[in-house]
Amino acid sequence: MKPKKDSLGYVVVFTFIVCVAFVLLLSVANQVTLPRVEANQNYASHYAVLAAFGLADSSTAKSEIEELYLSKVKELPARPISAASAYSAEIDGTPYLAVKITNPGLWGPITAILAADPPAERILGFEILEQQETPGLGGRIGEAWFTEQFKGEKVSAEGRVIVAQGTGKGDPDPENSRVDAVTGASRTSDFVQILVAKALAAVKEIGGSL
Amino acid sequence: MSPARKVLREGLWSNNPIFVQVLGICSTLAVTNNLSNTLVMVLGVTFATAMGSWTLSLLKDLIPRKVRMIVQVLVLSFYVIIVDILLKAYQPAISKQLGPYVGLIITNCILMGRAEAFAAANKPGLSFLDGVANGLGYGWVLISIAFVRELLGFGTFFGLKVFGEGFTPWTIMVMAPSAFFLVALALWAANILKAKAEAAAKAPKPKAPGAASPAPAKQ
Amino acid sequence: MNAPNVGILPLFLASILTSNILLANFLGTCSFISISKDFKSSMGLGLAVTMVIGICAAICWAVLNFLIRPLAIEYLSFIIFIIVIAGVVQMLEMIIDRFSPSLYMALGIFLPLITVNCAVLGVILFLQIRNYNFLQSVIFGFGSGAGWWLAIMLLAAIRTKLDKNNAVPAGLKGTGITLITIGFMAMAFIGFSGMIAVQ
Repeated sequence: MKPKKDSLGYVVVFTFIVCVAFVLLLSVANQVTLPRVEANQNYASHYAVLAAFGLADSSTAKSEIEELYLSKVKELPARPISAASAYSAEIDGTPYLAVKITNPGLWGPITAILAADPPAERILGFEILEQQETPGLGGRIGEAWFTEQFKGEKVSAEGRVIVAQGTGKGDPDPENSRVDAVTGASRTSDFVQILVAKALAAVKEIGGSL
Repeated sequence: MSPARKVLREGLWSNNPIFVQVLGICSTLAVTNNLSNTLVMVLGVTFATAMGSWTLSLLKDLIPRKVRMIVQVLVLSFYVIIVDILLKAYQPAISKQLGPYVGLIITNCILMGRAEAFAAANKPGLSFLDGVANGLGYGWVLISIAFVRELLGFGTFFGLKVFGEGFTPWTIMVMAPSAFFLVALALWAANILKAKAEAAAKAPKPKAPGAASPAPAKQ
Repeated sequence: MNAPNVGILPLFLASILTSNILLANFLGTCSFISISKDFKSSMGLGLAVTMVIGICAAICWAVLNFLIRPLAIEYLSFIIFIIVIAGVVQMLEMIIDRFSPSLYMALGIFLPLITVNCAVLGVILFLQIRNYNFLQSVIFGFGSGAGWWLAIMLLAAIRTKLDKNNAVPAGLKGTGITLITIGFMAMAFIGFSGMIAVQ
């Protein structure tokens, strides 16, 4: 017997069953992978903080990250003024500060971690945690050659580092307060410049109140 | 030719989604300046097209006409979300790089196009194969475009440096307009090849039947 | 996270020109190429897309903020959005059919195509990741639709001349030369970027 395919009852029941079945499957898939996704996010965040402080790099074993993070990094209380999570760590006896900050990018928000000395005069490290920029274009701000440029970069008197078009291979001079932008992604680069300036201001604010 | 071979041939060349139907370039074209991103997107599209076609072909006798479109969209987005969830859980780095583009696979016209044009009238197994063939047919064109764009735009191949320090990257290759130019060039080349094949197929034809012609058959 | 601090007018202009959904973000190219052959159809489709994006932006914003986020079912958002879009398209089809048969005839076959127009889903995903508030979402939706409309009209106008031109090599006629034209248009629109600095 063939059901009447176009009767209202059949249409409603069929649509309902299909929706429930597929949504159920998706929920199961989501629930199963949820702990993994959360662990990934936690790991990414902790790794980025350590990398910004220069305490870890891509050669660090995955299993050591958590231990390193717990032993070396101190999470500072959240500060409503700068709206950023803050961290501190002591490296070779010198205290350093880091902030996690979210600011608009070209497509969506960019979240990054910036570590610097407490008066925010020299950047220690910079890591992009999350971004939605165009893959292969603005999305390249997450690549190592771009973020490495900030390592040890001197902050200008105006409290910023300029991100400008250069050779596209990286600016090696740490004294000129200037890094190379991603070729073809000048607007994403502008957003990074704004984000870095904001992060530096946040570090300065926290550093001043310590 | 067996139906399976015919399906493969059509998807990969003679009815290639890009060359003939110019479908599905929207969401993926933007990522073709990087080979590894393109590869992941193409695999995602192939998986969603093949599995979606298979499922819809299984369900085709049950789907009421009135809600056909919504059911198709539902099934296809189901597979795209599966791709998204898998990437998030097992390849967080790639998932982060592709950002919103994975979700946009849903609106890739190839998915709907194959569901409507093939899966609605064929058996599940063959529909699955058709999805794979179309996904790959689409994939090899995009991967060749990505190869050219990454090579000239960054001087790299899968991120490995190919040219020496003296190489000046072609900025235009990194930017999106070049994708349109390259698709147009690929289309042009394909059209020329096709025209040649057609001419070649036409030319010997009058001779071939002539040789075996039953002209002197009258006895 | 709060809504970005973007004025209504800059957002509207940016979504039409500097971040044109088609020429800057490359969404919605499929129907763009096939429909732009004909000036009149382009007009109809452009109008329909603008309406659908605008309405969907409003509905999806509400769905996102009152359903998806409170229930924490972000993983289902693609499926919910696409169903909303398909529903809106179907509703619009019925309403237009009832109240303006002439417009229905003009839009006719293009309406169902809009469901799978990446521009629509693209706009919705943008307003999700950018956290626009309601007004911003609606303005951004209508602006992006208008930008798409503008782009397809420009291309259709160029094509009425181009398709008659016999100097175009045979293998490049039709789709090929259209793709190249879109490439040049995109380069021209890149020139707008930086004029209005909006996310």
